[in-house]
Amino acid sequence: MVTVADFNGTVKPDWCPACGNFAQLSAIKAVLAELGIEPHNTVVVSGIGCSSNLPEFIKAYGFHGLHGRALPVASAVKWANPKLTVIAYGGDGDGFFEGTQHFYHTAKRNVDITYIVSDNQIFGLTTGQASPTSEIGFKSKTTPYGNIEEPTNPLTFGLAAGATFVARGFSGDPKHLNEIIKRGIQHRGFSFIDVMSPCVTFNKLNTYDYFRKRVYKYEAKDLTDFSTAYKISQEWGDKIPIGIFYEKAERSYIDMDAVASQTPMVDIEPVMLNEKLVEEFL
Amino acid sequence: MSKEEVVIRIGGAAGEGVQSAGSVVAKSFSRTGLSVMTYNYYQDIVRGGQSWYQVRASHNKVRNQGDGLDVLIALNMDALVRHTNPEINEGGASPLTGIAIFDTTLTGYKEKENVIYCPVPLSEIAGKHSKVSLVKNTVAIGSAMASIGMSFEVVADVIRDQFGGKGEVAEQNVSAAKEGYDYFTQNFKKLDKKLNYTNKKKYLLGGGEAVGLGAVNGGLRMYIGYPMTPASSALHYISSHAKDFNLFVKVPEDEISAINMAIGANYAGLRAMTGSSGGGFSLMVEALGMAGMLEIPLVVYEAQRSGPSTGLPTKTEQGDLNLVLGASQGDFPRIVLAPRNVYDTFLLTREAMNLAEKYQTPVIVMSDLYLAEHLETVDKFDFNFKIDHGLRATDNMKNYKRYEYTQNGISPRAIPGQPGLMHNEDSDEHSESGDVVSDAETDPKLRIAIMEKRMRKLDSYVKEMPPTDTYRLDDAEYAIVQWGSTQGVVEEAVDILRNKGVRAGVIEINRVFPLNPDIPRLLKNRKKIIVVENNFTGQFNRLLKSEFLVSTSLIRKFDGEAFYPGALAEELEQEIKR
Repeated sequence: MVTVADFNGTVKPDWCPACGNFAQLSAIKAVLAELGIEPHNTVVVSGIGCSSNLPEFIKAYGFHGLHGRALPVASAVKWANPKLTVIAYGGDGDGFFEGTQHFYHTAKRNVDITYIVSDNQIFGLTTGQASPTSEIGFKSKTTPYGNIEEPTNPLTFGLAAGATFVARGFSGDPKHLNEIIKRGIQHRGFSFIDVMSPCVTFNKLNTYDYFRKRVYKYEAKDLTDFSTAYKISQEWGDKIPIGIFYEKAERSYIDMDAVASQTPMVDIEPVMLNEKLVEEFL
Repeated sequence: MSKEEVVIRIGGAAGEGVQSAGSVVAKSFSRTGLSVMTYNYYQDIVRGGQSWYQVRASHNKVRNQGDGLDVLIALNMDALVRHTNPEINEGGASPLTGIAIFDTTLTGYKEKENVIYCPVPLSEIAGKHSKVSLVKNTVAIGSAMASIGMSFEVVADVIRDQFGGKGEVAEQNVSAAKEGYDYFTQNFKKLDKKLNYTNKKKYLLGGGEAVGLGAVNGGLRMYIGYPMTPASSALHYISSHAKDFNLFVKVPEDEISAINMAIGANYAGLRAMTGSSGGGFSLMVEALGMAGMLEIPLVVYEAQRSGPSTGLPTKTEQGDLNLVLGASQGDFPRIVLAPRNVYDTFLLTREAMNLAEKYQTPVIVMSDLYLAEHLETVDKFDFNFKIDHGLRATDNMKNYKRYEYTQNGISPRAIPGQPGLMHNEDSDEHSESGDVVSDAETDPKLRIAIMEKRMRKLDSYVKEMPPTDTYRLDDAEYAIVQWGSTQGVVEEAVDILRNKGVRAGVIEINRVFPLNPDIPRLLKNRKKIIVVENNFTGQFNRLLKSEFLVSTSLIRKFDGEAFYPGALAEELEQEIKR
């Protein structure tokens, strides 16, 4: 029997009080326990940013790597040992600026991992600069006259890239968030969850109140309906949908690999070379 | 030129089948027990331009592409003029002194001394056997092999292999080659060569394939690479044998992804490597340091080509040493190996797999275009190798600390999936247990302890380094220092000097960093120390001088081509006299 306490780390989170990341850490621990996934079979890979410190605060196999590079590490961990549950975790700057190409290709490959982005629409760790999801007009240290660049829409991007599970959560609604993360981990293939996660210190626009006034729970009639998912994903402004927008069963990358689809790579014995294997050079 | 060796060159434009003709010639020699080396001179284009492929063979050990040219197959007029012109010098290549084989339709050239012109109706003969115009190359190969007295049966077998067995296409090529062979025999005189052909076949392969074989012999399970000349020859070989070797092979979106994937796989307990040339390696730099910081084993194959930037994509250079030595911010232990020839590439890549896991740190195997793309014969492979996974933690080990301070700096590694050993691996500075120390509180004492622990691993490696190899060094007054792929040329240049009574010898460096502490002893009491390398600034020379505080001279080449033994011997002689 796995309990939430089994995932309690020894290091106390260094996030600001009331940071949206807390709800996500709790949700991840609760879901893993609920699904009976043991800490030693869990790998949490992150990039760099406030949210990316998460692997330090959970008792599991943590990998706190480089800014933007969580997904290639997480992919290879899963390919090496598919018996592990692999969660990639990071922020919007990490995932939608520096790591954009990895996000696109990991989604397209349908690697069987769960990618949770703590989206606070700002760079927090570097003390408040506009990020790829900052809104037009948003003022920050680097955009004193207001942001003039159109924000990235992570959901339409994820859908267009070919993610087979696309959802949005809100750190201010932990119960709903738990459900989404649970479904994401259960999904076989690439699950992408964008979590609206207020930065209480640097983002004075996209606050808990801002979201509480706007979010509504979206229930898809047909989760495999791509065009409806794409249309709903574009909603932003007075009404912001949260929930699961899209889910489709597709073969994951490893299911199609000539070698790894048969047996987990870590369980395959290395080939012993012999003269027959170098005969082509004679 | 010696009667005991032969040099054949095929010259033509890209797309004229130069390389595939060259490989038929090379294989014919390796199958008759000769030692072979090939040299591929080509450009970054798919059609046109001027490329050539040279094959040097002898029953004595062939160590480089060689000086001199006995037989030229000229596939067009440009090639015929270029390779017979003593004024033209393609980075050191010799003009022809011997037989030129070309199509009778090529006329109007100005005859040169020392060239025996042997026009053969290549296209006409080819047309009798096949509708494919490239078959004229096969006819030319037939004639060339007749000119040096090679048995036709050997050539026929190689051609059959090249064209996939005994089908119609293969037989058309064999009969075309036979007619070319007979035409030469009936119309021209053979070269006076004394080559001892035997039936003892040798292996013929390139440095890229040797990387693949070495890695697999060293327990490789996953190869992640992004195409870039000249690292692609390894990627191609490994990809085409994924099923034979039970490998997971992936070309991801970029080199940054490639190295992060290789790190992820190694973290999960699977031996993985990545590879690229300088441009791609530059993109890998940040993650290389992460592997050092997290103490994750990692092998990177770095095949140099002429830089800077895109540089000369199909030309050789040893210009990435500074990059490799300094790659990534901060100090962390790294091991840099630079194989000297094809078999050395096999051995060192294999060893790199063990070193990476034993010392839990990045190991870079540096090759270059010259070594990665030329073919060389190997008499025998010794596949006997013990895979060493290094120090591993046992399940549920008490008080497990991922980065435990140990005397040799090596701490027990836990692999995800092992119960009771959960921990965090962090690119931030961390404690013995892996907890981050950079955020909440920074502890200078702890920082010193963990830095010293990581760096101690290099001291441990240095202690197990085998002695540095030398060549004719014992009584040498002049020590020539080479690193990596220049071994064969430098050795032969030293032989030339020795024949003139100059007592020179070679110190051969295939472990570039850290340098072997036995080197100062080898450098001692020489009249002169001369470093030879393929780059502009003398990157290795600088390393050698700074490590051992010795005074050296430097011979460089940075025209994109490899050194040639004769020209190098002359330069060495001048340097010695200076």
